[in-house]
Amino acid sequence: MKIVVAYKWARNPQDAEVREDGTVDFGRSRAAVSEYDPVAFEVARRLADATGGEVIGLSVGDTSIGTSLARKAALSRGLDRLVLVADDALADADSTRLAAVLAAAVRTIEDVDLVIAGESSTDLAEGQVPLTLAAGLGWTGLAGICDVGVADEVVTVRRDLPDRRQTLLLDGPAVLSVTADAVVPRIPGMKEILAAAKKPVQVLDHASLDVTPVGAAGEASFEVLSTSRPADGTRRRVLIDGADPDTAAAGLVAALRTIGAM
Amino acid sequence: MNDPIQTCVVVAGDPAVSNLTEIARSASGHTLAVVVGPRTVADAIAGAGVHEVVWCGEPAEETPVEAYAPEVARLVTRSAPRIVVGAATPAGRALLGAVAAATGAAVLSGITAVRVEDGRVVVDQERYGGIAGRTLAVTSGPAVLAVDPGTPVVAGDAVTPVAPVTPVTVTPRDGVRITGTEPRTHDTVDLARARVVVGIGRGLKEQADLALIEDLAAALGAEIACSRPLAEGSGWVGKERYLGISGQRIAPELYLAIGISGQLQHMAGVRDARTVVAVNSDKNAPVFGRCDYGVIGDLYRIVPALTTTLKA
Ligand SMILES: Cc1cc2nc3c(=O)[nH]c(=O)nc-3n(C[C@H](O)[C@H](O)[C@H](O)COP(=O)(O)OP(=O)(O)OC[C@H]3O[C@@H](n4cnc5c(N)ncnc54)[C@H](O)[C@@H]3O)c2cc1C
Ligand SMILES: Nc1ncnc2c1ncn2[C@@H]1O[C@H](COP(=O)(O)O)[C@@H](O)[C@H]1O
Repeated sequence: MKIVVAYKWARNPQDAEVREDGTVDFGRSRAAVSEYDPVAFEVARRLADATGGEVIGLSVGDTSIGTSLARKAALSRGLDRLVLVADDALADADSTRLAAVLAAAVRTIEDVDLVIAGESSTDLAEGQVPLTLAAGLGWTGLAGICDVGVADEVVTVRRDLPDRRQTLLLDGPAVLSVTADAVVPRIPGMKEILAAAKKPVQVLDHASLDVTPVGAAGEASFEVLSTSRPADGTRRRVLIDGADPDTAAAGLVAALRTIGAM
Repeated sequence: MNDPIQTCVVVAGDPAVSNLTEIARSASGHTLAVVVGPRTVADAIAGAGVHEVVWCGEPAEETPVEAYAPEVARLVTRSAPRIVVGAATPAGRALLGAVAAATGAAVLSGITAVRVEDGRVVVDQERYGGIAGRTLAVTSGPAVLAVDPGTPVVAGDAVTPVAPVTPVTVTPRDGVRITGTEPRTHDTVDLARARVVVGIGRGLKEQADLALIEDLAAALGAEIACSRPLAEGSGWVGKERYLGISGQRIAPELYLAIGISGQLQHMAGVRDARTVVAVNSDKNAPVFGRCDYGVIGDLYRIVPALTTTLKA
């Protein structure tokens, strides 16, 4: 099977600073492979190994996704090769735009059986890109997949809905997004990181991709009127030393009773 | 410009869409619901204050909601809506993704309000796990909104006329089939109703140590919740109990975060708690910047002391 893993090179908002005016400064936060995407790499590797196939990493974003650090971070996690669309024009692209560019890239790879993605990205955390991508490709799109199996080239997947567990059989190409607990991803060692430097990387030219249909030809479909910082600074932040647990517990309970929290 | 705003609510097999119909109502125009799922779902939506229901017919047992995505996109775009609202769930997002791919519009998530100003659709949105907010005016294509679904809708009062349900013949995509369904026993805990909630995180060393947390919860009359790694990593606590941007959001009177570092993805789930207490052995844990009272100490010593004090 030929499997593409869509992964994001993303920053964690945990380390971002939200300014007074609501704009977000990601300056202090370092980009990394999006937190749950290694699960997708691992699922893909196991499927490919079981069927004698290939795993191709695919990422779309600004030029930072093409640095040697970023390439190695992905390639050391069980990929055979990498395809990138790196263009600063994609820096703040919304999920529809990202999905449209990903779809165009998947079409250039050709004969892809399956695209596997993470459940939600570290930065936007919407869980939307894989499903919009599926629609763009005209493929089946399923999210929340916690198990993927293959027998005789036929893929079956499982997902847990609130009240039932469902097994589905795919008989066509599909985009799957896998849950964080689908498998435990391998942690790359020195050997994998060294090998990563030798694996092929293909950089596709954004401008020459056939990015269809997207009515708004790459422009955002909205205008930002204002930004804001949600009120969150209203906590008391009283710290209690717990060196003596009994005193700390008594102090905490007394404080909670005083403010009527208990 | 003076035509009423046309809103489409897309329903992905599940009648739990109270927030979707509410968003549609706040745009105060004409609302069309496109329903995938059994007739009972279409009927429930028809009584919940929408004007018209288009129903995709009784689904075959083997056909998942997602197989309807292309047809839903067709039905939605045909009515040229200004606003499309769907559930921020896997199936809901599959339907919204099809609308997005067909129209080029972005799917906007984290929506807190929608209104029409000077003929433009304006939405308030939270991003990056709720750390930042922004207000957008949609300039082209429909406003496609992914909304936390809410509770099941029930037919409204007598004032709300029941909307007509029009069945349409659609062909779901093949390429995927449901081949098995098993009931899943899950915890029916209602964290949303609990006044006091104790959340436990990776500070817990072993599953057996949950007993400590259960004792504390009993002394407080609290429900137990957790951070994501305890539900989806170790699996020590049920998935129904984790809090945060991907889990549940609650607003109890009191929330105690025990052995939880306080990453924003977790804390977003308790932002509306009235009082937040943290117990953590690392004085630099981010949770101490987001709590009302923080005890710096080992949970294995603090929690039993707390339980004893409460019982006294
Ligand atoms: C897209 C995305 C979505 C996410 N969604 C969610 C979500 O919905 N909910 C969620 O919870 N997380 C979510 N996360 C994960 C989140 O970022 C954190 O990784 C997670 O919340 C950390 O859980 P934790 O605090 O239990 O573990 P850790 O961060 O490992 O923290 C454990 C804490 O326990 C303390 N500790 C250790 N031993 C003791 C002791 N003996 N006594 C007291 N304290 C002790 C440590 O000091 C530490 O602060 C998401 C992440 C991403 C990228
Ligand atoms: N720019 C991107 N390039 C490649 N894959 C992406 C990109 N953005 C999102 N994805 C994939 O889609 C998943 C969900 O992302 P999101 O919809 O942003 O939450 C991620 O975990 C990735 O697998």
